[in-house]
Amino acid sequence: MRRIPQPPLNPALRAIERHDFWPGFIAALIGIILAFCGARHLTGVDTVDGGTASETQLVKAFSFDGLQYPNQIAPPPPPKGNDPEALERWARQTRSAEAPTWKVRVDTAAKTPCPT
Amino acid sequence: MECPVPECKQRQPTELGRKLKRLRPWVQTGFLGVWLAPVGQWLHGIPSCVFHCYSCPLSSFACPIGVLANYAALMPVALEVPYLLLGILLFVGAVSGSLACGWACPFGFVQDLLGKIPIRKMSLPAWVGYTRYVVLVGLVILLPLILGFKGIPFGDQIISICRLCPAGALEAGLPNSAQSVMAGHGWPMSWFKSLILVAFFASALFINRPWCRIFCPLGGLLALFNRFSLFHLRFKPSECVECNLCRSRCPMGVNVDQKVNVSGCIRCLECSTCGALEACFAVPKENANPVSPPK
Repeated sequence: MRRIPQPPLNPALRAIERHDFWPGFIAALIGIILAFCGARHLTGVDTVDGGTASETQLVKAFSFDGLQYPNQIAPPPPPKGNDPEALERWARQTRSAEAPTWKVRVDTAAKTPCPT
Repeated sequence: MECPVPECKQRQPTELGRKLKRLRPWVQTGFLGVWLAPVGQWLHGIPSCVFHCYSCPLSSFACPIGVLANYAALMPVALEVPYLLLGILLFVGAVSGSLACGWACPFGFVQDLLGKIPIRKMSLPAWVGYTRYVVLVGLVILLPLILGFKGIPFGDQIISICRLCPAGALEAGLPNSAQSVMAGHGWPMSWFKSLILVAFFASALFINRPWCRIFCPLGGLLALFNRFSLFHLRFKPSECVECNLCRSRCPMGVNVDQKVNVSGCIRCLECSTCGALEACFAVPKENANPVSPPK
């Protein structure tokens, strides 16, 4: 250990730095209440299976790449073979498919680690 | 410069200080069992209070900074408030300040171990600590808030705090890449992220806790509570012999001989070894001790 030389200092003039109890206590209490409410809080984000995602499910979705956006939903694949009728039906279905009304949703079953 | 105080060189750490110094690595090791619990995967829905990547194959909790950045990125499409995260950080900060940085953070522990390699360490100016708040506001909140989940494309990835984070590179990128190499699939981690990891290791050899001191947004956030947290360090003028042992032992370069409960402190309690600084909890209705004269 390299000893740093002491600059001029009068210990009697230095603040004791005693902390008050109440600011820390009140902040800790607010923290407990927030954490408790957060653990039970239902977010405004839907899940893939039609429910509402809780906050813990949303946080878990961040970890497991479980957020879905409308542009990530792939259209149904075209039918195999060269049947023109089936192809026409598929094209009609794809055109008439309604745009999703949701902006983001949570796949609670996602297990892909976030690609850090 | 020679110290003008005659007792300076003679003053040695107290017995309690020696014990704390020996105890800290064991407590840090014990906390690894909390953050790296392989059976605790279900806890990924709960943010932790330390800096640990949730993409680590063994991580049990979610990274608070990753969660905060994701909430910010979610804001353009869904306005959600991270009550759970805010509650946990507020509670931990109000009770202990940045004690978790010094005693529980796994990434801090890695830096402590690297810092034990006997290479002369560089000192940093105190203002570099403010960079942590630039990272917090700029990279963790504003950038995702503005760009959403699109980020800034860079190669086949996007730039965000998680893509730049050395903890992600060390705890997730490195084990996943090692697994991939062993399976014969090559090195999947991008050259940019690999470079960040190498730079982190190199800097940790020459600077004590470089990430914590310069960049860590979580450390910066928790350190804001140091000024009023229940757990704090208190100065005892009667014990001070002006030996400057406290400042000499501080690995974070804080001027603890002037003020100790500041944002640069990680509460490692190294400074309390001299006996003039003591760790204590604030209690209600505490009698104001009369200031005794210095020895």
